Amino acid sequence: MKRLFAFLLAVMLVCTMFAGCGNAKGGKGDGYEIALITDKGNIDDKSFNQGSWEGVVAFAEENKITHKYYKPEEASDAGYLAAIDLAVEGGAKVVVTPGFLFEVPIFEAQTRYPDVKFILLDGAPHNSDYSVFETKENVASIMYSEEESGYLAGYAAVKDGMTKLGFMGGMAVPAVRAFGYGYLQGAEDAAKELGLADGSVSVIYHYTGNFEENDTNKATAKTMYQQGTEVIFACGGAVGKSVMAAASEAGKKVIGVDVDQRYDSETVITSATKGLKASVYQVLEAIYKTNKWSDYAGKTTYFSAANNGVGLPTEVIGDPNGNAFDRFDKFTKEEYDAIFAKLVDGSVDPIREIDIADPDGNATAEELVNGLKLQKVTVTVR
Amino acid sequence: MHNNTTYSPKAFDIKKITSTKSFSAFTAALLAIFLGIVFGFIVMFAASPANAASGFLMLLSGGFRRLGDVFYFATPILMTGLAVGFAFKMGLFNIGASGQYTMGMYFALYVGFMWDMPDSIHWVACVIAGMIGGMLWGFIPGIFKALLNVNEVITSIMFNYIGMYLVDMLIQGNGTMYVATKTRTAYLPASAQIPSLGIKNSNVNVSIYIAIVLAIILQIVLRKTIFGYELQATGYNRHASTYAGMNGKKNIIVTMMIAGAAAGLGGAFAILAPSTIAGSSMTYEPINIIAANGFNGIAVALLGNSSPIGIIFSAIFISHIQRGGTLASLYGYKPEIIDIVIAVIIYFSAFSMLMNAALARFIKKRRKHESDNPDANRESTSDAEVNTVSGPDSEVSTPDSDVITPDSEATTPDSDVSTPVSDASGDSVQNDTKEGE
Amino acid sequence: MEDYIIEMLNITKEFPGIVANDNITLRLKRGEIHALLGENGAGKSTLMSVLFGLYQAEKGEIRKNGQTVNIKNPNDANALGIGMVHQHFKLVENFTVLENIILGVEPCKFGFLQKKKAREKVMELSEQYGLKVNPDDVIEKITVGMQQRVEILKMLFRDNEILIFDEPTAVLTPQEIDELMDIMRGFAKEGKSILFITHKLNEIMAVADRCTVLWKGKCIGTVNIKDTTKEELSRMMVGRDVNFSVDKEEAKPGDVVLSVRNLTVPSRTHKKNAVNNVSFDVRAGEIVCIAGIDGNGQTELVSAITGLEKASGGTITLCGKDITKANIRTRSKTGMSHIPEDRQKHGLILDYTLEQNLVLQRYWEPEFQNHGFIKREPIRAYADKLIGQYDVRSGQGPETIVRSMSGGNQQKAIIAREIDKKHELLVAVQPTRGLDVGAIEYIHKQIVADRDAGKGILLVSLELDEVMNVSDRILVMYEGEIVGELDPDKTDVQELGLYMSGAKRNLAKENEHAQ
Repeated sequence: MKRLFAFLLAVMLVCTMFAGCGNAKGGKGDGYEIALITDKGNIDDKSFNQGSWEGVVAFAEENKITHKYYKPEEASDAGYLAAIDLAVEGGAKVVVTPGFLFEVPIFEAQTRYPDVKFILLDGAPHNSDYSVFETKENVASIMYSEEESGYLAGYAAVKDGMTKLGFMGGMAVPAVRAFGYGYLQGAEDAAKELGLADGSVSVIYHYTGNFEENDTNKATAKTMYQQGTEVIFACGGAVGKSVMAAASEAGKKVIGVDVDQRYDSETVITSATKGLKASVYQVLEAIYKTNKWSDYAGKTTYFSAANNGVGLPTEVIGDPNGNAFDRFDKFTKEEYDAIFAKLVDGSVDPIREIDIADPDGNATAEELVNGLKLQKVTVTVR
Repeated sequence: MHNNTTYSPKAFDIKKITSTKSFSAFTAALLAIFLGIVFGFIVMFAASPANAASGFLMLLSGGFRRLGDVFYFATPILMTGLAVGFAFKMGLFNIGASGQYTMGMYFALYVGFMWDMPDSIHWVACVIAGMIGGMLWGFIPGIFKALLNVNEVITSIMFNYIGMYLVDMLIQGNGTMYVATKTRTAYLPASAQIPSLGIKNSNVNVSIYIAIVLAIILQIVLRKTIFGYELQATGYNRHASTYAGMNGKKNIIVTMMIAGAAAGLGGAFAILAPSTIAGSSMTYEPINIIAANGFNGIAVALLGNSSPIGIIFSAIFISHIQRGGTLASLYGYKPEIIDIVIAVIIYFSAFSMLMNAALARFIKKRRKHESDNPDANRESTSDAEVNTVSGPDSEVSTPDSDVITPDSEATTPDSDVSTPVSDASGDSVQNDTKEGE
Repeated sequence: MEDYIIEMLNITKEFPGIVANDNITLRLKRGEIHALLGENGAGKSTLMSVLFGLYQAEKGEIRKNGQTVNIKNPNDANALGIGMVHQHFKLVENFTVLENIILGVEPCKFGFLQKKKAREKVMELSEQYGLKVNPDDVIEKITVGMQQRVEILKMLFRDNEILIFDEPTAVLTPQEIDELMDIMRGFAKEGKSILFITHKLNEIMAVADRCTVLWKGKCIGTVNIKDTTKEELSRMMVGRDVNFSVDKEEAKPGDVVLSVRNLTVPSRTHKKNAVNNVSFDVRAGEIVCIAGIDGNGQTELVSAITGLEKASGGTITLCGKDITKANIRTRSKTGMSHIPEDRQKHGLILDYTLEQNLVLQRYWEPEFQNHGFIKREPIRAYADKLIGQYDVRSGQGPETIVRSMSGGNQQKAIIAREIDKKHELLVAVQPTRGLDVGAIEYIHKQIVADRDAGKGILLVSLELDEVMNVSDRILVMYEGEIVGELDPDKTDVQELGLYMSGAKRNLAKENEHAQ
């Protein structure tokens, strides 16, 4: 009995701890107009879930719209679809789904709920065997101009004084390729601006063939660092963790990808991000305020520097006075703003795709140099 | 012979009902659930007082709106619950249900992707393969326990990790099964998926029937066969089973194989489930995480008092609460709060052992008050007395042999030595006698 | 007025159902060795536990130097200078000797151990009393005798003046026992007072000054060793109450059923053999009783015969078949029935019903199973038959959970099961332990009836009355060997007591095995 009592006491404590966390806004009657479905991770994953949820919260709180996120009961296509069902039942008018995992579920849901608007980030709806790609009028498929993001990263690295760069992509899929090509072009342009000699910047270019954190990837990164590479652009999901581990052992630097990864490791100097928050905010604004849903509806929209859809992080989360550029030696916010403006006005327009002979998309050094017109930069593919 | 008193009809009735084990186990489970629900409500109330009532009602009743899903999600935990509970009947703590579950998934996936078979039997072959995978992963800890006396908890925990990493590695190394760009397995061919029951928006499939039938079979094995008799005898009293000449080693291995097979089937049922989306299926993502359903099986087994029939109900109950919980999130509760509420309810439910002992003590106390018999009075205090007497010496224990055998009225609670609760039951007395020798 | 350091006056300690100490008075003089003698269950350890603060007495008082003291726990006892060497040592196995000695009273300075000081004191003590130990040895690596010295040093380190030894010689070799005796005499000379619990008469005669005898919780008296004899002590120890006799015919021994030759069983607790080179026969139609004080190898002997433990040497033959290495089921099928020593540990599955327990040795027979499925009706019928025949009483008949039955009826169930089972040999170990008079009588009758039915009975008992009344032949075990074969009609309890306490033997040691 004593033990039971002690346990009850413990439960009471836990209860009081959570007492403040309630979401007191409205009951079921009101519903939740903007819904976000998390993918496999949690809402605070410092990645897609969190980035897009921040966009939802920012817009919804400004405009006093009810909003809520749902966790699928099961990480499967059917589970995601069921979560969408639940969100719609909960009164959702707009459903935000972060990540390519939602491509198949949204393909189903767009027909099932014609009156609900879906914002699918980083993906385009298709059926399960890829035979049909269709984006209906109630769906906005949002993609990102990765080449611009990669361009900024490469530019920043060379401007910061580094001449031995590395690139570790996951697999040669379009998004990863675009990041890589942009990276090389950014390095080239920075070298030109700095007036460096031809071939003075060298890049080791590598696809790991997977998106995993594993020992092979870590060993590869380590070897690259040992060969003198100063910074590696880790562009492949969990590959980044392997690279960060190698970097912290070698005392070298990493450039993160997709979201601001500075919080994952001290070695991350910057990240080639996708503007999840900005893009979600803009689409929601188009729906609710500017009545421009048709700009996004039924098609894939690329977010680029022009609409703040890509970039390097300029803010430190949780620290309004923080300097997001503090891990660079020389590169400054002013230089960043200048090059960003050029991307916005179109005076700089990195190439997204080049012709590759290999069906899997693995480029040779020659293809890269020729296709991207590189002079200052030499490329070694491994 | 002081115990052969005749009972008044009323006392006899109470005794007869309350002393049946299944009754006290059932009441204990209900009591545990009730307490869990009360505390779950407190958590919800603390989180958002305004919505607590309606939200909580939804949590409790929501499952009825989604019966298909209730049964769908109950299937794997029913099987892992059986894996834990069945081994528990023999006194083995099969904490390795997760590893067996993962192996079951892998074997099922392998047959699903790599073997080309006629549609009608392909899924059956996958299910059987899953069973074999789990059986293998139960067999190894069983062998270690039986032949080398390595504690099955240690082995099976290790085999959780070995199984998980092995499966992740095997899947990542298999180009047919694994889609590297999506970091998960490809969609299974439709022929490998278990036939759906066709309930709208639910993946519920025939595996729930198979699971229930298997639970009933295991119940029959336990209750009606020589093997079940030996198994439970060993679980209750290892020494006595040795004394009676039972082959403990063989029984340990067979029990662990059956337990592993059940968990493996759970994995197969989970991964082979059909999808509500045409052409889609479940996928396995190798991300180095131990399958949670294996551990959920422990809660299911505890709540079901390790009885296969009880496990059917406890699995459905837990699934029901979870489905209702998901719906309750419509009332403004963050998914995390709902997770806490569900965890509190399940956690409490696992305390049914404690409730069982408390209940027995309560009934005993009541009867003590009713009884005028000083004899009974004296002896019912004996338990408490003896507990303090875990002395090192030989002579005190001699009176114990008298003490252990109180009146025939004593409703002694469950005998599982592993729970701290059993301090109050007769087991500790046994220890005393042992020490005294 | 005598100089008593400790007086325990009119101590009464009850356990539910039994009075362990009934109005016992014990007075310990300064500087004496005082033996406390009694059979198992006489209340010796309970009395010492009261003195050491492990139990609180219901009645009576304890005085030290004439002052009433209240001992609530072992710490209080320690503060009063009372130390105890327990029968089972309380040492930390992977600590060194020194660490064990200072455990709990570590000399500290600013929170740092002052091992050097402690070591000096330990060495001084060990020098003074001839307790040679190496303070840096690890406990698990040293012999039992050495461990006991560590226990003794623990008491000395704490400056205890009253030393309690609980059965200190049980685990020692004869040489170690001699050394211990010397050490104890040394203590007495130094003015320390010793309480010495034992049931070995030789040791008492050798070392003690006075002796208090307990019998079934009562104090029989305190005698000066100078003025008494072993025989008198023995008579006091086993009591003088009237024996109830068992009606039985003269035994008509038939063929040899069980034949044990040169059986040796290693001990689980110490390095000596628990059973050393034992040989004997049991014939059909006779009751052979193994008598002896608890812990002299009877349990191990029976375990080896029944298959619960492995023998390290010798042979066991049952009904002409060598079963030395056979498994338990084979032994059972060959014709062995076994009423185990601990009915709740071995004999019953307490959470099974009565009927399930009644078929525990036979459930696999075709009569009760069909292709692995239990045949319910035959089991119920069989259970009903046994319950009727052996008068096993319970709340709900065959469906009663055995845990809820009384000890007597639990034992009856075992006896019914073992006697009704087809067998030639019945091994009964302490079949009446902890039972009341009625049940004892009933069980004795059943055993005699089984003998008369032509079965061989091997009875192991610690109760001298039982030994004298039930058996046809008595074998006395002492320190793992059979030291005497006696005819119950031609001997008496006193003589038996002498054999049991190792004071006398009529069978030569066959050969002395090196340890």
